[in-house]
Amino acid sequence: MIGDDVRIVVVAVDRDTVKLGIEAPRTIPVHRSEVYDEIQRTNRAAAGEPDPKPAVERAKVADLAKTRRAPSKE
Amino acid sequence: MILSVTETTVESADRITTVNLPRFGTCSYRESEVLDFPWGLPGFASLRRFIALNLEGQDRFVWLQSLDDLAIALPAGDPWQIFPEYAPRLPPYATSSLDLGRPEDFATLCVVVVSPGAAEMTMNLLAPIVVNLRTRTGRQVTLETGGYSVRTPIPRKAPAATAGA
Repeated sequence: MIGDDVRIVVVAVDRDTVKLGIEAPRTIPVHRSEVYDEIQRTNRAAAGEPDPKPAVERAKVADLAKTRRAPSKE
Repeated sequence: MILSVTETTVESADRITTVNLPRFGTCSYRESEVLDFPWGLPGFASLRRFIALNLEGQDRFVWLQSLDDLAIALPAGDPWQIFPEYAPRLPPYATSSLDLGRPEDFATLCVVVVSPGAAEMTMNLLAPIVVNLRTRTGRQVTLETGGYSVRTPIPRKAPAATAGA
């Protein structure tokens, strides 16, 4: 167990290989670390890229309500 | 790294703050316009307070500007402007943590990566940023279905490019 809610289980054993599974409530995000790592890298790349245009324009607070559209639930 | 911040107290409920942003110069915002990201963002776990900015003449993109580190700002866009068929389905932890009750309360933005010289742009459709506009709370959510890519190439001739923002 990891904490009270997450359980590591043995899914299969074959010679010298053990396949593990993770049981967690659907309220906890569980992702392969390589996926999360790639999202981290992409965010950092996005933040680090220089603005293609020189930063002469003024910025004002955006109205996010214009892009309102809710993703559907699973 | 905070360069300079001045505050003008109008009323305690909606204080106006003026900041000097490294990328965008002077910008003013109201406290009611601040977005809270309790889980930070992947890669920026300690950054919680953001504002969404439009540059003049650039309505297609929003800059998520960190207020905790003024040097950090992420460009993001409305995914449906470029990918009308985008159909993200949020996993349960995301729906519950953002109080996803009324669809009209939500905005969805996807982070964009621009290559040097703006030769190529990609959009992260695998992990959209979902913002509850009523509670001013946001989270970047990794989709578990749909087969989307973290770096989806943005076509040069996107539909919105000809339709106008």
